[in-house]
Amino acid sequence: MSNTTRVSPGVVRVEREAMTFADRLYLPQVVGGMFRTLKHLMKNLVNIKRLPTIQYPEVKRVYSERFRGRHILTTREDGTTRCVACYMCSTACPAECITIEAGEDQRTREKFPVRYDIDLLRCVFCGYCVDACPEDAIYMTRDYEMAIDSRARAVVGLRDLVVPPNFPVGPMGWRPYYGEIEKRGTAGGTGIGQPLREAPFEDDAPPNPDVYRGA
Amino acid sequence: MSTLTKFSAIPYTGPAPTNRQPYVPAEAAAMDTRGAAIAAKVQGLEQELGQDMATFLVDKARIVDVLLALRDHPELQFTLPLDLFGVDYPNRDGARFDLVYQLYSLANNERVRLKVPVGENESVPTSIGVYQAFDWFEREAWDMYGIGFAGHPNLRRILTHENFQGHPLRKDYDPAQRWLLTDQGIATITPKIAPEFQQNEDESDFERVTLNLGPSHPATHGTLRMVVTLDGETIVGSEQEIGYLHRCFEKMSETHTYQQVIPYTDRLNYCSAIINNVGYCMTVEKMLGIESPERANHVRLMLSEFYRISDHIICIGTNLVDMGALTNFWWLFQPREEIIALAESCSGARLLPSYLRIGGIAVDVPEDFLRNAQKIVNMLPKFIDDVEALVMKNRIFRDRVEGVGVISREDAINFGFTGPCLRAVGVPFDVRKSSPYLGYETYDWDVPVAEGGDTYARFLVRFEEMRQSLRILQQAIDRGLPPGPVMVDNPYVALPPKAKVYNEMESLIYHFKLIMHGIQPPVGETYFQVEGGNGEVGFYVISDGTKHPYRVRVRPPCFPIFEAFGKMITGQTIPDAIAALGSLNIIAGELDR
Repeated sequence: MSNTTRVSPGVVRVEREAMTFADRLYLPQVVGGMFRTLKHLMKNLVNIKRLPTIQYPEVKRVYSERFRGRHILTTREDGTTRCVACYMCSTACPAECITIEAGEDQRTREKFPVRYDIDLLRCVFCGYCVDACPEDAIYMTRDYEMAIDSRARAVVGLRDLVVPPNFPVGPMGWRPYYGEIEKRGTAGGTGIGQPLREAPFEDDAPPNPDVYRGA
Repeated sequence: MSTLTKFSAIPYTGPAPTNRQPYVPAEAAAMDTRGAAIAAKVQGLEQELGQDMATFLVDKARIVDVLLALRDHPELQFTLPLDLFGVDYPNRDGARFDLVYQLYSLANNERVRLKVPVGENESVPTSIGVYQAFDWFEREAWDMYGIGFAGHPNLRRILTHENFQGHPLRKDYDPAQRWLLTDQGIATITPKIAPEFQQNEDESDFERVTLNLGPSHPATHGTLRMVVTLDGETIVGSEQEIGYLHRCFEKMSETHTYQQVIPYTDRLNYCSAIINNVGYCMTVEKMLGIESPERANHVRLMLSEFYRISDHIICIGTNLVDMGALTNFWWLFQPREEIIALAESCSGARLLPSYLRIGGIAVDVPEDFLRNAQKIVNMLPKFIDDVEALVMKNRIFRDRVEGVGVISREDAINFGFTGPCLRAVGVPFDVRKSSPYLGYETYDWDVPVAEGGDTYARFLVRFEEMRQSLRILQQAIDRGLPPGPVMVDNPYVALPPKAKVYNEMESLIYHFKLIMHGIQPPVGETYFQVEGGNGEVGFYVISDGTKHPYRVRVRPPCFPIFEAFGKMITGQTIPDAIAALGSLNIIAGELDR
């Protein structure tokens, strides 16, 4: 399309194209431009089902399995949170949006989070918390609709983040690994046979109804 | 080679971490020789050895003479000013600050760094007379460090608020310090009338009017502010005010670890975020003496080029919207959407991917990466051709861009222009050619230049640059992705794979160490530059061996370009100024940092 001249090896000069008399008349170019626009319109009318636009919110864009959306805290098969309150995610977080308070389970002597808050207004959704977690506990989902009507609601806690065991892979986004890997050691803690914790949550606040709670 | 990833219980046997060891650049010996040759030609240079580019200490009383000599010496010709910034060493004997000047010679393709030690409450003679670009850079050094510049005509704060107290980049300034700043007590900006309009005020039929544009204005595409004085419709004086999007990038980098700076770099030029990631990661990699694997480099190159195209698409699209041509914007945004979707499929985020890590990329690209890349490369030319056919011969468009926002070749160089705006005045300077990285030298492509330096020339360069990027991408796709890992095999830099973290004690320890103690590069300083969407994006990193960078300086290509904007629009009208502003592609995130 454009008119280029080679000036030296690896350098081309784009020539300033002079306007011809017909171009300067203005009308031919405008009619040509209109014709081109109409061609696009006709093409779109014929292929109305394959328009590049998406009718949001009726139709939603499908994001990849790496999408970095709202976080979830995964649970073991017995329903306890995998998180052991090691503060790795809050250390790795560049936005300092994670607040953790650790507690100790009286029976199993294991650490667990008493409080785990993410300030979604501070969060930059970089995925560093997921990369930093050594326990396979924090994942990100493909949920990107996080509109809220007050700042207080932007802080989500354990009630909003913890999902039931065997959370389906479908809505999951950014995660520490993809596919199956063998987990026999540290991830999942003592794992099998551990009794269910009675009250992992100190506060009894109702769950935030706005946030995604999985399938 | 590490054995960590091959066997389970054998600890890392590679080189020990080098923190608190001095950093010795690979090119130190060559640069010392070259530095000695430069020092022999110019008076007043005291060479500093062992740096990644020729570095000199200069006495502050002689700096203007030295800069003049470097610029005008027939064999050196350091005509292009790149950067000027301060560094604070509060615990050092002698002068507290270092004022660092970085210059580039277009004739010899070399860089030079000058360091001027300055004490507290001391001032340095201003170098505006040598390089006009340093006007704003000196204001920034004053704002951030409180270094005075004797003879500067307009030494006010530039990035922070007028009523801000203290100098934020000083080491003794608390990063958590907050100031409540309002519009109370703010001085009114009165633009300086350009010399050619100063005499004929009485002859004019019109009363001079001062008009404010921005900081929140649809035509500025970012929080920029201009105050212009009009004589009738002619702009006779203009002053630009920036800092509305200042996010303390440099201060925050000093309080975070090396990995945590990567998401911050995304937000510099948010239209081509991956390129900033590449620049920063390669700077730290250079310091660590590691090289990211071939496969990661290939992905970095491809995504850089895709984001460069997307950056130009936004620039061209919005610029045409400013001139009333809305259709092009929509047409161009379809391929841009595909580019962003491709980046999303790799990194999980659309605009701010944070995809790179120091030592490689976060995860390997998806299987259909090349197929999708090929689809975009196939579809893009049609869109570019359509837009070009629609506007380039249109008389309204041509009348609005030809001869508008002109900057001469000498001025552009003196103002420190880089990137498409410099190439639009006919200077074929492109970092990808002059100091290739990521293997750009192995690709067959050309640097497009245009003559004229007006808005039209910038359009021509950007259109052609998209085509050249497509050429690079097609070759990259044809070569295919090299097999192998995407992260370096060094547990002091890269997080071990999760399968190992969950099952092996050693990997878990390295994982903990890396998250808690961070990457710790050797003690020293380095500069590395990449070609961003707007020009040379350079990162200057100083390490003191701890997990936090001692200083991260980013060279913002928009900064000197927007500085020259006032000069470009003087004598023209407001609609011309809008058309010219769009073609410069000023990104506030990068301008204000």
